[in-house]
Order: sequence, then C-alpha cells, then structure tokens
Amino acid sequence: MSTTALINHYATNRATTASAWLKSWLLTVDHKRIAILYLISINVFFLLGGLAASIVRLELVTPQGDLMSADMYNRMFTLHGVIMVFFFLIPGIPSVLGNFLIPLMIGARDLAFPKLNLLSWYLYMGGGLFALCAAVFGGVDTGWTFYTPFSTSYSNSNVVLTIAGAFVMGFSSILTGLNFIITIHKMRAPGLTWFRLPLFIWAHYATSLIQILATPVVAIALLLVLVERVWHIGVFDPAIGGDPVLYQHLFWFYSHPAVYIMILPAMGVISELIATFSRRRIFGYEFVAFSSIAIAILGFLVWGHHMYVSSQSVYSGLVFGFITMLVAIPSAIKVFNWTATLYKGSISYRTPMLYALGFIGLFIIGGLTGIFLSVVAVDIHVTDTYFVVAHFHYVMVGGTMMAYLGGIHYWWPKMTGRMYNEAWGTISALVVFVGFNLTFFPQFIMGYLGMPRRYHVYPQEFQIYHVMSTAGSTILGIGFVIPLVYLLLSLRYGRLAGDDPWDAPGLEWRTSSPPPTFNFETQPIVTEEAYAFQPEAAHL
Amino acid sequence: MANAHDTGHQGGHDREGNYGHISVRTYWVVFGALMALMVLTVAAWYTQKHFVHLPEIVAVGIAVSIAIAKTTLIIYFFMHVKVSSKLTQIFAVSAFVWLMILFVIVMGDYMARGWPPAKGPLSQVPVPISAAL
Ligand code: HEM
Ligand SMILES: [Cu+2]
Repeated sequence: MSTTALINHYATNRATTASAWLKSWLLTVDHKRIAILYLISINVFFLLGGLAASIVRLELVTPQGDLMSADMYNRMFTLHGVIMVFFFLIPGIPSVLGNFLIPLMIGARDLAFPKLNLLSWYLYMGGGLFALCAAVFGGVDTGWTFYTPFSTSYSNSNVVLTIAGAFVMGFSSILTGLNFIITIHKMRAPGLTWFRLPLFIWAHYATSLIQILATPVVAIALLLVLVERVWHIGVFDPAIGGDPVLYQHLFWFYSHPAVYIMILPAMGVISELIATFSRRRIFGYEFVAFSSIAIAILGFLVWGHHMYVSSQSVYSGLVFGFITMLVAIPSAIKVFNWTATLYKGSISYRTPMLYALGFIGLFIIGGLTGIFLSVVAVDIHVTDTYFVVAHFHYVMVGGTMMAYLGGIHYWWPKMTGRMYNEAWGTISALVVFVGFNLTFFPQFIMGYLGMPRRYHVYPQEFQIYHVMSTAGSTILGIGFVIPLVYLLLSLRYGRLAGDDPWDAPGLEWRTSSPPPTFNFETQPIVTEEAYAFQPEAAHL
Repeated sequence: MANAHDTGHQGGHDREGNYGHISVRTYWVVFGALMALMVLTVAAWYTQKHFVHLPEIVAVGIAVSIAIAKTTLIIYFFMHVKVSSKLTQIFAVSAFVWLMILFVIVMGDYMARGWPPAKGPLSQVPVPISAAL
C-alpha cells in the first residue's frame, strides 16, 4: 500500500529510547502487538517443552534407566506435558493467530476489550512463571493430569506451584474467550453477516464457548486439590473421606473439551489454507461452520472415556463410549468437506498448503484411533499404553502443531510484511512430516503390544520401537528449528510481501502488510461471501 | 442479523446491551425478599434441629432450593440480567445448563455403580491358582 501506511504500521518503532520502546510493547493494547508478544512467549515455552521431550526420548533409547532416576523421569515427562498442554497447545493458535486475525478478518479496529487482552497476556506469563519456578525448584511428578490422591497426599514435589500456574493461566484463557465472543458478536463490519464469516472465525467462536464454559470447572477442581493438599480437608483422598474418582470427573469435564480448544482453532486455520491454495470456496461451508459448534457442544458429553478403568460405573462407560463415537461425525464432516474442496480446485503446493495436507492425513489417523479407544473393550486393553500416547500426539502434534506452523507461514507476510524462503519452507514441511511419523507411528505398535506409558525401564523387546521413535524425534526437532531460522532471517532479508501475496479474498488481505495501528484506513464494507475467489466469482 | 438488532437500540443508552432500567424500589423489594429468604434458611435449620427430623436428603433439598432462589434473585435483578439483551440472557442461562450437565452426568455415574450386582467372568473374586486347579 502507500508509504504513509507503512510508516504508521503497528510494528513501527516510533520510540526514541530503549525504555520507551520496551514500554511501547509491554503496555500495548494493540491486538497485533499482543499477538506478537504471545508469539514470542509461546514459542519459548514450546522450545522448553520440546527440550523436556528430547530428554525423555533420549532416556528411552535403552531399556535400562541410565540417564536419570525413575523419580527424575516422572518429573521430566510431567514438565513436558504441563508446558505443552497448558502453555503451548491450549493458548497457542487462539492467542497468536486468533488475536492477530480476528479483528482483521471481521473488519474491526481491535478486539472489544483491548486492555483485557493485555491482561490475558500478563496472566499467561504469570502462570508460566509459576510453572517454571516449580520446575526450577525441583519439578512435579504427578503427570499433567494431577490425579488424586497422589497429587494431594503422596507426592513430594512442587504440586502447589504448578497447579497455581495452571490456575492463573486458566484465567488468561477465559478472558481471551470472552473477548473473542463479544468481538465476533458486536464488531463485525457492515454487511459481514454470520454466514459470510471466514470459517476461522466460526472455529474461534466455538473454541471461545468452550473456554468460558469449561475452564471455570478445572479452576475449581485444581483449587480443591490445593485445599486438600495444604489444609488436609478431605475432598478427593479416601483416607480422609474424599473420592478420587470425583477429581477425574471434574478434571476431564474440562480436559476433554480442552482437546477441542486445541483442535478447533487448528481446523479453522486449515479451512483458510485449503480454500486459498485450491482457490475454491470451502465445500459445504454451512456444514463446516456448524460442525465446529456441534463439536464444542458434544465435546462436553464424552469426558468419561478417560475413565473406563477408574471404577466409573460400566453403564456410564458404555454411554460415554457411544457419545464419543458421535463426536467423530462432525470431525469427519470437516475432513470430507476439505477433501471435496480440493476436488477440481487449482491446487498449489506452497508451504502452508503442505502443512494443511499433512494435517488432514495425520488428523485422520489420530481421529480414527480415537474411535478405537472409545470402545470400552478395546480401551481396557490399550489404556495407559503407548497406543494412547500415539493417538493424542497424532491429534495434538499432527493436528494442532501442523496447523499452527501452516498458519504462521500463511500469515507471516501479513504479520511482518516479509516473505520467507519458499524452498526452505517446503523442506521444513517435509522434514516435519517424516520426523513426526517416524516418532509416533512405532508408538501405536509398541503400545498395542503392551508398552506402558510413563515408565523409563522396559522389556528388551520394545527397544527397537523406542529407538525408531527417538530417531524420528530428532528429525522432528530439526524440522522445528529450520523454520525458526529462516523465518527470523526473513525479517531482515525476506522480500517485501505486499498487501496480498496469496491473492486471497479475506478482509485481512485488504490492508497493508503489516497493517496500520487501527487496521484499516477506511471502514471496510462486505458485499460478498467468504472465499469469493476470482474465477468462481466471475461466473456467479 | 445482529447488525439490524444493534442499530435498533442505538441512541437511547450509553452502554451497549443495557436496554432498561431497574428502579430503586425494585432493588429494595429484592433486598427484602433476600432477607426473608435468609430468615427462612435459619428457620428451616431451627425446625430441623429442634422439632421435626427430616431425612437428610429432604433437609438438604430444602436448603439448596432456598439458596437457588436467592441466587436467581441476585443474578436476575442485581446483576441486570432482567434488563439485558437476549444474547446476554442466553449466555447467563447456558452457564447453569452446563453446570447441570456436569451434575447430572456425574450423579448418573455414582448412582449406576454396582447396578445390577456385578456378575460375569471379570467380576468374580480371583481364585488362587492352586485352588482353581
Ligand atoms: C476424533 C475424535 C476423538 C476421539 C473419538 C478420541 C478418543 C479418545 C479416548 C477414548 C481417549 C482415552 C484413552 C485412554 O486414556 O485409555 C483419548 C485420549 C486422549 N485424547 Fe483423544 N479422541 C479424539 C480426538 C482428540 C483430539 C482432537 C485431541 C487433541 C487435540 C485428543 C487428545 C487426547 C489426549 C491428550 C488424550 C490422553 C489424555 C491422557 O490420558 O493424558 N483426542 N482420546
Ligand atoms: Cu477425551
């Protein structure tokens, strides 16, 4: 766009002193700058979580415990799980891409509550600080699930600090959800009706509903853990009159919907990528939109599938199993509709599209193995084995992580104004895909054969799978480092992207890259559907 | 859809979604009702303790019902749900619908445990191998 827009864009450093510059970032209420703050901090947490994972994988190369004690191993996989779930996967896509893009996509100047948005980031950082302190002062050994009564009465690790971290970060999540819901209801540009919204917005709307309805429950459950641990008031520990299975109910009432907090925004990203790189409107737009809402609602009725072996009543187990299979329907609707969108599209295999196609394949494997697990009889055989570990890594890394990377690549030119190196982009997408499968596919096999999760000493016969998995994770790690390098390099050396490098129709591309502080020079007015690509629009 | 809805209410009120006004008189009436319900709570406890001994489930049921009545009054009047937009009302109600999902399903689990008495190969008490041979 014009040079004036460039001078005024959100990233411009108008501050003259270092402290003024720092202040302009740390006290900003601009959703785009807050998104950048999140981008940096979330990636730092991802690297820390990844480091813990590498240490876990290294330990598992041999069947003996040679790198660390059993106790240390427990702390290491808990560190990995807590950081990845609470500080990367749950906030990841909404706080970075959602924050940056929701106002842009709906033609608004900012989110409804900019200061609340900044507060969310501080809460996230505060929660993260607690969790990191817990790690530095010796770690936690409960697993990311904090199961009682171990966490309340027996563990000698930093349960209180870690739970405080998850608790504080929960408020960040609630406030972000609240902000998004109100923004999407109240601040859409003139003419932007609900069924003209990009599917990214629908997905974030559904996610936000889960965030505000489910997060308070886990907050209270975690608070009760603290109450029992600190004051020995019997809530969950049977020795003092509590009920440990109650904790599992409360925890999974949040944490199953939380897996949809992770995957729904990812699905929103994928819808955008598939549309742009096959240059077609998403097939069955309304179905894809409503399937997000259906997932959000049904997702609240299935939590008991994590409790089949917990002494939950078998009747509850059967009902939960049945409803769990129902959730697969809206997920499948999305996959089928993305595939149908590809059909007769003019597909270009740019880096974001490679990530999107990878997502579809991996999510199918992750989702289908989820259906295996929803069958009580099968689950009793493989629960707490590497089969489950493989299942959730296929959906969380193969799903959310792939979408996060694809989305970062796709909107990088908008966020920074620069293009990254396409050749390196292609290479990294392929390396991630190969490394990912080598890491996690063997885990299905060894899990099915009986390798339990959360043990670092194991029978000889499983070593071959563990070696494959560790080799794969090394490749995967390289696949994550490559983009870090070329994306950072692009900030200085990348060519200028221009307003609309992908020739895409969304509102976010109708302003300069990076956008000016208040996003649009003039209020955009929407007169057409989402994904109105030129060739299609021409013959309508 | 929502756009038409917004413009319909512009002008009159400075705050979005706040469509009406609750009179001071209403606040006092609600306050009176809350005080009355509090007296009722204490009275119910007193009756239970000194006169009729109701089964625990009935006693708790009465106490919880009074508490719910109080909560409803506070949310509806003091928290302005009465004069808020339909959308706000839907969100306010949905929180409680979700709470009901949690309670109903969890209680469903508790009530269905050991029902009917466990039978079948997996539920039998394990027999030492020597005895089984
Ligand atoms: C397609 C629908 C899905 C179905 C039917 C499904 C089903 C299941 C079942 C039955 C379990 C329990 C296994 C056990 O512990 O024995 C499970 C575990 C898990 N799933 Fe899924 N799942 C689905 C999608 C997802 C998604 C999208 C995510 C995350 C993005 C996810 C993340 C997890 C996690 C983290 C666990 C393990 C939690 C733990 O014990 O630490 N699942 N899944
Ligand atoms: Cu689940």
